[in-house]
Formats: sequence, structure tokens, C-alpha cells
Amino acid sequence: MKNVFLTGVGGHGVLKLSGILAEAALTAGFDVRKSEVHGMSQRGGSVVSQVRYGNRVHSPVIPAGKADALISLELLEALRTLPCLRPEGVLLVNEQRITPAPLGTIRVPYPENVRELCEDRVEIAVFVPALDMARDLGNERAANVVMAGAFSNFAPEISIEVWVHTIEAAFRPEHRELNLNAFRAGQSFAAIDREPPR
Amino acid sequence: MRKLLSGNEAIAQGASEAGVLFAAAYPGTPSTEILETIARQGDIQVQWAPNEKVAYEVACGVALGGGRALVAMKHVGVNVAADPLFSSSYSGVNGGLVLVSADDPAMHSSQNEQDNRHLARASKIPVLEPSDSQEARDFLLMAFDISEGLDTPVMLRVTTRICHSKSPVVLDANAVSRPRAIRPYRRSMSKNVLLPVHARRRHEIVEVRLKRLSQLGESARELNRIHWGDRTIGIVTSGVAYQYVLEAMPQASILKLGLTYPLPVDLVRKFAGGVDELYVVEELDPFLEGEIRALGLRPVGKEVFPATGELDPDKVAAAFGTELGREAVEAVDEQLPARPPVLCAGCGHRAVFYTLAKMGLVVTGDIGCYSLGTLPPLLAMDSCMCMGASVGMAQGMEISLRAAADERRVVGVIGDSTFVHSGITGLVNVVYNGGASTLLILDNGTTAMTGHQDHPGTGVTASGEKTHRLDFAALCRAVGVRRVREMDPYDMDRLEAALNEELAADEPSVIICRAPCRLVERAPLGHPAEMEIDCPGCGACLELGCPAIEELDGRSVIDPAVCTGCGLCVQICPFCGLKVDTIRRDPVPV
Repeated sequence: MKNVFLTGVGGHGVLKLSGILAEAALTAGFDVRKSEVHGMSQRGGSVVSQVRYGNRVHSPVIPAGKADALISLELLEALRTLPCLRPEGVLLVNEQRITPAPLGTIRVPYPENVRELCEDRVEIAVFVPALDMARDLGNERAANVVMAGAFSNFAPEISIEVWVHTIEAAFRPEHRELNLNAFRAGQSFAAIDREPPR
Repeated sequence: MRKLLSGNEAIAQGASEAGVLFAAAYPGTPSTEILETIARQGDIQVQWAPNEKVAYEVACGVALGGGRALVAMKHVGVNVAADPLFSSSYSGVNGGLVLVSADDPAMHSSQNEQDNRHLARASKIPVLEPSDSQEARDFLLMAFDISEGLDTPVMLRVTTRICHSKSPVVLDANAVSRPRAIRPYRRSMSKNVLLPVHARRRHEIVEVRLKRLSQLGESARELNRIHWGDRTIGIVTSGVAYQYVLEAMPQASILKLGLTYPLPVDLVRKFAGGVDELYVVEELDPFLEGEIRALGLRPVGKEVFPATGELDPDKVAAAFGTELGREAVEAVDEQLPARPPVLCAGCGHRAVFYTLAKMGLVVTGDIGCYSLGTLPPLLAMDSCMCMGASVGMAQGMEISLRAAADERRVVGVIGDSTFVHSGITGLVNVVYNGGASTLLILDNGTTAMTGHQDHPGTGVTASGEKTHRLDFAALCRAVGVRRVREMDPYDMDRLEAALNEELAADEPSVIICRAPCRLVERAPLGHPAEMEIDCPGCGACLELGCPAIEELDGRSVIDPAVCTGCGLCVQICPFCGLKVDTIRRDPVPV
């Protein structure tokens, strides 16, 4: 079974990304559970989603420390959710920094060394400039699909054909090409950056 | 064909397959997508009701008339619908009637985490608890059959993890939603007119019905079943907790209950007799545990499993003395900045709460996005209890403060949808009982917090059709409020002046603040604000808690990508260092 924890900031496409991953896993023939909590997800709060797939999955919630991959669409949120990962798990982070709205007088500073803190703790940490990559392709909203492409290198059980089919089904015709390009960009970025695991 | 559906989508799918004629709801997390999905399917008549009581009553009428009806609501909504619920149990149904109660353990988006199985038991109707999306669809179909077969409303009780988790549902590719024949309506006063003389007889029938339901639970294997495993530990469980048990204790014997009330007594005894130690794993209250204890059995339950919050595989494993997780990645030591949800950039609620905080008013609040006015830096709410409570509590606070010769001034704050839901009767009371409360109706033209559903004040129905638009000002005048004004809250000086006038008046008053939700009206209010001076960093604008303003190296910086040009920061900058271009808003007459 594969456990993937996804996180980010409300309104930035975490739930769309987890939906694409869950659909791809289903199309690849797996049993799937996807869990999320949305209530205020458009109001800029932290958002998490969990996807589990394998021959048979029961709980929609991943036990602590059992995530095989953590995909974060924002730097600080990656740091916040690190303990969901098992020590050999893969961390994929969109290098975007979104400062939380000021919270009154007690202001905790945004950590400056997110990358170091992550790399100290995780063996495989891939930092993807997904926002810039998506912007170069025409729309920064496709950063989440860039991350799907990056993750695909670490999910050999889901074929590229399945990913392509899923992305085509997930977007309106006018957005398909952009998102397929975003996927391919993420895929080649992470493939160059790291040797995919066996 | 397998399709990945959330529990809510699976319920909507089941509603079509069950030939439901009518579905109604008031939006509430985690139930909202049930009616939204049914509305998109387009084959069932749908209604957003003003509140859950009305939704349930219309559904009762449909069921009495012979059609199948579904009503969906969040757990606290069932409190609102409790009056007709309890009595409909006595009347029974004609066409099937299913109430979907979406409970919210862990209070992801709720004010309490009540366990609505208690309400089903108190109203003497059966409860079905699905444990994934497939069961959500299957159990809904069974619920309608039970409803019609045993002449009872049925509660389908789901929780946030069922509603919002997706899992595969097997669909029959050939299945078409079948419009179900309407059962003929015949007048039966002894059944449907609950005069005491009739209701006494109906109560007898309800008690017999409970026994028959219990017998159904003994034999219906698709609802209640035993998996025999290791017989040293036997676990009774239901709902999503069943999935956690499968993950944490796969070797144990399990009695999986789908029909959790009334309890299948013989099945439970048989199971208990076949295992060395009996456990009950359920979320929230010891509901099954209490029922099982009443049989004289001694299960292990809430002494090891938490009665608060959600369960998860780790908590279940820990209670059995095992651990699922291997060593996890180590957390960072330093404190990380929190990221709670905030009022959106340009939200009209921000202008209101900034002004209320500045004026030092006592604010009785209500349920909706504007409860975010509680969080720092706004810190502008004294109470938020339940739908509509702001109105009555404002009046009550004034009674106490006056008795204490406390001169603090009180204002009630309520949203448009919440006012329709249950604020109107409170306002009637203010007028009737000689109160002098000032009520702010924050009209953003939608039910925003739950994801922008229409309501009687928007003039659009659940199926997207235009309808009569409730006029809030006319309604307030009609109940006897003479001082009613409508205004644009973004002009904070005018808002403050209006509040001072209305609070000074010795009679009830209503200020309707019109500011369309920024997530609906996405057109910017103006050009982004610009800093014209070298910002000295006084921090005044940071007190708005606006996501478009960031403090960098002791200076305020506006993010033009986020700023909507609402101009609030321009109004409060003491150095006049901020400017904003023409604000594109239609003036609202005062």
C-alpha cells in the first residue's frame, strides 16, 4: 500500500491535486481512499488531504509516521507536516512561500531555513520551483499539476498513460494542454534532480 | 464500473437509484454536497430550505403524500428539526423518509460534536451507519426500504470522514434512475393527526416497531455481521471506526454493526459469548457501549478509547497496547507561525469587525464566515453559540448590563442566510418585548461559509431558477422595527456614525451592511492600494488582519496580487501613506 500526504494553503489546489492522484490510482486498478477536510478551505488556512492506494485499503486516514510521500504546495506547510513521513519517505515541496496573515501582536516569524530543516530530517527531499515553472507555461495555477509530475517519478506503479488520461479528464478542454505540459515539466524536473528509487 | 465518490456523492447517487422524488437541506458542513450533488444530477426536485425544520417538514409532507423524500443536514441542524422529527416518528410515513445526519467529530467546522445517535434513540427511529462510500449508497437504498416496510422515518448517520472521504463505489452501468411510483395517499386521521387520543395509540405502535426493527437487525447480514477471527479479542464497532479497527486489529473478531439502533440483542450476545474479551470501538459517545451494558455484558469501551474528537488507526491501536507507526520523521523544534483561515482580502466583514472592535462594543455573534471576526487581530466577538442566537442574546445581554448599570453597548451581528434561518423570530421578540437592540445584518448575498449556496435572500433556488427575493429591510419594518437602514460597510466612518446613532436610540434598530462575498463577486473593488511614503511601520494597517498586507523588515507591504482595492487600509493609515484608486462600487442609499 502507498500512503501520500498532501498539504498546502487553502485555495491553491491541494484538493485538486489529491483528486488527480486518487483518480489515477483508481484507473491504475488499485483500491483507493482519499480523505480531506474542507470547510474553510478557500479562506487561506492550512489544508491537508490524504490518499492511500493498494490492493485493499481500509482507513481513509494514514497512521502517524506511515506516509511514503509528502507533497507540499508551500514551504512552511511542508515543515508543519513533516512528522507524517516515515524516515525513508519522499518529500516533494513546491518552493513557494506564502506568509500567513498577521495574527495580532504575537507574531511568529516565517522560518528562513525551511529547506535545510527539511533536508536535515528527510533522506529524499525534492524542492520544485513549481510556481515559476507553471507561470512560464502560462498559468501559475498549474503549479499543483507540476507537483503531480514530480511525484510520478516516485510512483512507478502508476503509468504515464494513466496520468495523462487522468489529467485530460480532470480539466476542461481549454486547460488540458497547459496541465499536460505542467505534468511533463514536473516529471522531468524531478527525474533530473534525483535518481528515481528502485 | 468503479467510480471514486465521496460519501456525500454516494448518498446523492443512492437517492437517484432509490427513486427519490424530493430532497431538501439547509447547507452545513459536512453535509452540504449531498444536496448540491443531487441538484447537479437533475433528476430529483431539490430545495434549499430556510432551515432544517422547514426542510424536514416539507419532506414529511412529500412522504405523507406518497413520494420518497430525503433530508440532509449537519448534526446541529437535527436539533432545529427535532420537533417535527420526534412527532413524525409517531405518524410514520407513506412514501419513504430518510434523514441524513452528518455529524462532525473533532469539530472541523462546528460548534459542538454531539452524537446524533442519541436523537434517533430519543425519537425512536432506526439509525444506519455506513463505513465507506459504497455503504453510504447501499445503506441509503436499504433505509428507504426499511422506512416504507416498517412505516418509520430512518436516520442515516454519517460523519465528516465518511462525507468527505472518497472510496470506490461499484455502479451498475445499466442502472438508470427510476422514477418511483408515488404510493397512493389515503387520509388517516388516527395516524397523521397527532391529537393526544391518537398519539397514545401511535406510541404503542412505535414500541412494537422498535422490536421489529431489532429483529431485522438480527438477520440482515448486509447490515450487521460477525467476522470471526482471533477469539481472544472481540470488537463491536460501527461507521468509520470499523475501518480503523480493520487497520489496527486485523486479526481480531469483529461484530460490524450497520443498523446501530435498535441493537440486535441476540447477535450481540452470541458474539460476546464467542470471545474472551469484548471491546466496543465507536467515535464520540459510549452509545453502543451503553446499550450493550444494559444487556448485563461488561465490554471495555470509553475507559480506553477517547470520547472526544475523531478516532484514527493510531488511537485504536494504542488502546490495544500496540503501535502502528514506525519511527517517523522528527518534527522541528522551533515554533511555526499558525495559519488559521482568515477573512478574505476585501471582505466587507473586516470593515464591520474592525469598527466594532474600535468602538469597544459587546458583540453577540452568530454562525458563518464572520465568526472569523473573533480571531486576532480583530478580536471583536463576545459570543457565538448557534444559528440565530445573536439576536436573542443581544437583547438578553442588554437586560443584564442595564441591571448592573454597566454602560457598555451591545450589538448583535448576523449573516443574511443565518438571519433567514433563525434570526427573524428573535427580532420579532425584540420588538414585541420592548427591547432596544441594534442588529447588524451582514448581507454578502450568499451562504458563504459552506461554499456559496443560495437562500431566500438571493432570489435564486437550489436548481438555479430565479424566484422572489426576500427583502430584508421590508421584512424588518414589517415585524415592527422602525429604524432600518442599509449601507455600504466599507466606509468605516459612516458605519461608526450610524452605529452611534442607532445604539443611542431607545428602540430596536437594524443596519443592513451590503457587501457581496469576495469569493462570488471576484471583480476587484478598485486598483490595489499603493504605498506613497516610506512606511514608518506603525502597524496600524496590520490590525485589519488583511491577507494582502505583509510586514517585511518593520514596514507594511501590500501584495498587489491579493489586494482587491477595498480601501480599508487607506482609511486607517495615520500617515496618509496609502492611497487607492477609484473604488468601483455602486453606492447604496442610506
